[in-house]
Amino acid sequence: MDPIVSIIIPTFNRRLYLPCALGSAVKQDYKNIEIFVVNDGGEDVSDIVSSFDDPRVTFINRGENRGKAYSLNQALEKATGKYVCYLDDDDIYYSNHVSTLVKVLESNPDYHVAYSDLYKVYCNVLPDGSRQALSKVVEVSRDFDRYFMFYFNHCLHVSLMHRRDLFEKTGLYNENLNILVDWDIARRFAFFTDFYHVEDITAEYYTPVEGSDRISVKGRKDLDKYKKNVLAIRKTRPPKPWYKTKDLSIIFDADEINEGSTRTIGQVVGHTFHPYKFYIPMPAYDWARINSDLSNMVNVDVAPNASRLEKFDKALNECEGEYVVILPDRFNITDLWVEKAAYALDHSCGNECFELEDSSECCFAVVASREDFIKARNQFPKYLLRDSLVAAGLVIKKVDELSSPFEFDSYIHLAIQKEEDGDWKRAIEIYEYLAKSSQNKLWVKTCIAKACFEAGYYTAAVKLSEELNNTRPTVNTLLQHAKICRKMNDYTDAIELLKKAEEILEGKELVWM
Amino acid sequence: MDVVKGEEINDSTQHYEVLMQLGDCHATVGYYELARQYYNKAAAIGPDEAGPYVGLGVISLHENHLEDADIAFRVAYRLNNSCSKAFAGMAMVHQQRGDYRTAFDLYLKCMELDPNNLTALLGLFQSSCQMGTFAKVIHYLELYLGMHPADVSVMFSLSALYMKEGRLDDSKKLLLDVIALDSSNHDAVNLLEEIEHKIAHDMQVGVNV
Repeated sequence: MDPIVSIIIPTFNRRLYLPCALGSAVKQDYKNIEIFVVNDGGEDVSDIVSSFDDPRVTFINRGENRGKAYSLNQALEKATGKYVCYLDDDDIYYSNHVSTLVKVLESNPDYHVAYSDLYKVYCNVLPDGSRQALSKVVEVSRDFDRYFMFYFNHCLHVSLMHRRDLFEKTGLYNENLNILVDWDIARRFAFFTDFYHVEDITAEYYTPVEGSDRISVKGRKDLDKYKKNVLAIRKTRPPKPWYKTKDLSIIFDADEINEGSTRTIGQVVGHTFHPYKFYIPMPAYDWARINSDLSNMVNVDVAPNASRLEKFDKALNECEGEYVVILPDRFNITDLWVEKAAYALDHSCGNECFELEDSSECCFAVVASREDFIKARNQFPKYLLRDSLVAAGLVIKKVDELSSPFEFDSYIHLAIQKEEDGDWKRAIEIYEYLAKSSQNKLWVKTCIAKACFEAGYYTAAVKLSEELNNTRPTVNTLLQHAKICRKMNDYTDAIELLKKAEEILEGKELVWM
Repeated sequence: MDVVKGEEINDSTQHYEVLMQLGDCHATVGYYELARQYYNKAAAIGPDEAGPYVGLGVISLHENHLEDADIAFRVAYRLNNSCSKAFAGMAMVHQQRGDYRTAFDLYLKCMELDPNNLTALLGLFQSSCQMGTFAKVIHYLELYLGMHPADVSVMFSLSALYMKEGRLDDSKKLLLDVIALDSSNHDAVNLLEEIEHKIAHDMQVGVNV
């Protein structure tokens, strides 16, 4: 028996597009689905829902506008599917969306989340409200990367399918967030499971060129609100045990808390995206005077005259993270300040700890496993921190610049820079280096094909374009292939490729529209 | 931080480009009716773009519908008054009507906007030959050759103009370059022979004097 899949469609004042969205859900080639349409206090759409006359559709008609997270949670209370997926009221699934994702989740039970690629459709909205596609581009096609997910969402909500029982570990959608509810939930999933990336394009989401009416896009225009939401998401820590990520305990190493150290604490909050708790050793009565609303900050009560070593050792015993960071007061905090070292520790063969980038003799900052730290402190309690680690046989390493969590992105940026300089040959070399890794193969191949075309290496460009279009044709890869054919005076093939691109742009496969 | 949040494609012209490419490909292989349909669709998607009208004008020229071509190129010009192809198209219409003076001026405008436009350059050459004035053409041919130093057809045209202007040594030098690049270019070989004959003749006259 095929497992049940729950499709949730929240809607708010989009009567015109809802029939397409709902139609695309109803017409899935996977039949064992239940669909929840949740009216989030918008104009009445009951006639649209009932016009489908499909017993698999449940309509939740709420008079009050309470936001997307509330709507999703309301549907989830009723959902019975083994898997859950989502559709916005102005987007559409292709008919194979559900079947594609169910197939990978059923055949890869270790993965509890899967996601596909989507077309972002730039469109004109015509006077009658209908949409004219101007471009269909695969804007995001990234393999799952946990560090990246902690920093930024690279799995769009519409493309996501997950096991419903994941909510038992993560909790439901956060109704206190105004925007980025999708990133919040995806980020929380990442604590417990890997995500399976399917490179097929199985849905479309629409962006009018004259300014998007998407709530998520409008919400981002209020920068303060956006930042507050980002910080709220980053400090969210689902209940333990976390199966897929280590907890980071940052121990503040300061003589006293003054204005300068408050600034350091603020910088940690602003720059840290790895899940963490911040341990601040100071007398409890001093702590009570600090007005902190950060739930992941912990006071370690110490005697007023405690030495820095005593403070650290107390915090070490109280903290719960698998990784421990010593953060000296007024340490230089920039982006990736701790993530590079944590990433290095993730990939370490053991018996190593990693000094942060700006660490020095007098301002020692390091990430080590809590286990190693405890061993070192127990064996050599009188030693200074660095000396105790060394004496316990740990190798203190500096972080290797090239093995940072966003190494892939650094190389991509470098290649883009070379492209902008017109140095296509060097760009190709960089892409070819990236192609040797196991990440984002299709994305990198697309970049190589484009660079080969621009560099005038038409034979290589044709070969790569053929491979790409045999694997996963997109409007861009078809268009590029056609241009190369034209350059080589092969008009028959060029026309055939362009017609395929035109069919995608016209949405010929979208039979319900 | 150096992360790529997406492929950062903010391109709203893809559909237009596909339709234009379809129009151009069909026009190249002579399927004018299909090409016309695609250009018309492109015009509907990109109502402010001159390109589709240039394409329509070129088809009309091929079909010898000068009136339609003229209208299409004028629309293209109206949409984008720095569209070099619109000027080239209008010039071709005038050239075919025998109005070489206007054609020449329009080709010149096209070359000012796009010194790379070979069609305009050759049109300029042809219309100036038909009018018997070469000075301006020589300038543009030289300019073009500066950018495309191995373009044999332009080299040959320029050497012919040098000859007409009495610059026999310049002409001879250029023809030798043409033959070095393309030894089977009989026109160049014949013209070189003619020039050498002329130089010899001029020297003979000089000796006699």
